[in-house]
Amino acid sequence: MDFKKFRKRSPWILHYNTGSCNGCDIEILACLAPKYDVERFGILNRGNPKQSDILLVTGPVTKRAKERLLRLYFEMPEPKVVVAVGACACSGGVFRHMYNVENGVDKVIPVDVYVPGCAARPEAIIDGIVRALEILKEKGKEVELPHWCSAQVKPPVNRVKLLDRCLEELHGRR
Amino acid sequence: MSYWTAFILTLFSPVIGGFIYGLERIVRARMQGRVGPPLLQPFYDFFKLMDKRSIIIHSFHAFMGIMYLIGTWFALFVLLSGGDLLIAIFFHVLSLAFLVVGGFSVRSPYSVIGAMRELLHMVAYEPLYVLSAAALYLVTGTFQVSGILHSKHVPLIYLPLFFTAVLFSLPAILKKSPFDTAEAHQEIIGGPEIEYSGKFYEAVYTAKWIEYVYAFFFIFLFAGGNHILGALLIIFAFFFFNLLDNVTARVNFRQMVAFHWYILIPLAVINLMLIALWRS
Ligand code: SF4
Repeated sequence: MDFKKFRKRSPWILHYNTGSCNGCDIEILACLAPKYDVERFGILNRGNPKQSDILLVTGPVTKRAKERLLRLYFEMPEPKVVVAVGACACSGGVFRHMYNVENGVDKVIPVDVYVPGCAARPEAIIDGIVRALEILKEKGKEVELPHWCSAQVKPPVNRVKLLDRCLEELHGRR
Repeated sequence: MSYWTAFILTLFSPVIGGFIYGLERIVRARMQGRVGPPLLQPFYDFFKLMDKRSIIIHSFHAFMGIMYLIGTWFALFVLLSGGDLLIAIFFHVLSLAFLVVGGFSVRSPYSVIGAMRELLHMVAYEPLYVLSAAALYLVTGTFQVSGILHSKHVPLIYLPLFFTAVLFSLPAILKKSPFDTAEAHQEIIGGPEIEYSGKFYEAVYTAKWIEYVYAFFFIFLFAGGNHILGALLIIFAFFFFNLLDNVTARVNFRQMVAFHWYILIPLAVINLMLIALWRS
């Protein structure tokens, strides 16, 4: 039986705010409220990395948030996709080049879909999720690492060790 | 009911429970003015989880998740095969104990808090279920489920207060608001089930569907031999507890235990004493 087609039917979401102004977060919650009601498509906001498929990130990734973001990314089991919501998450937006931000989510974890807008409209977020679902359907189940991390994945996968390696590199990087 | 029908029914109980859960999600959405997911949504979730990579914290934790499923399944089998009511209750408690032990065995604080609250849930509602087994015995003269289902009396007529009490503790056993402190999705993100992922979460998820069947079967017993009334009671209980879920906020664990011990259990005991007096 091909289970891949069910991935599109029940995407569970993890939403993480990496220091955004809360504008985009409110729009994400508006998607879940009666007007847009994304639960029609089986989308649930689980708030639990271990059980979700889509990571919705808002905000420009502050220095404090980047380690947590990486941890959350590692705690999500594959297949997973990352959606950057809002101008901040895509490029830094109004916070770009400030001393305390990383200028976008893709500096820390690989991003699959970028949703523009300040704040991103609920329609745009839903479009982004639909696009993300197409990517999710094609994804395999191998362990994914951030593009800048040089750790090797060997069969008895120990995610804690991998995370430690990546965190070391993340903090060593300037 | 013969042994084999009971066995087959038990085998398919996750399907029945899944449909109940799907229906519940639709009803809840409609009550909130939303459209809600399709009826088959729980099964889509089920098949999706099948395909996820499972992250295991340690093997004991994963094992406890599976034992929770087997425990609830067995409790339901005891009920459906017409076995002893007390044994079914006992196995249900045991299965929850597996979940609690699993919750305590990991270092996540949410999981530990959730496990503690799960214990408080058991403290709150289990006495009520044991008492209701006693009350059903007083009315029908047997602890056997098959005997209760064929008795000439309708326990509901003798036990109206008791039925009310069980109805109000239904959210506690199914972990719905107002008594959902153990799961509390906004504060402790599912409590003891937080660390399960992939196939192991699937086991916990399915066990929860089976608990639906278990809880509603208990409601069914209050109609005794009158099975049409039983079906009506289940429908009533279903809508009642969905309404309760939607209109109430979560109470804290003290209020939950206090509500059960100061209001529902005395209500049940009064009913029990009246029956006993009237019988003698
Ligand atoms: S994109 Fe705009 S609305 Fe969204 S978090 Fe950034 S500043 Fe706020």
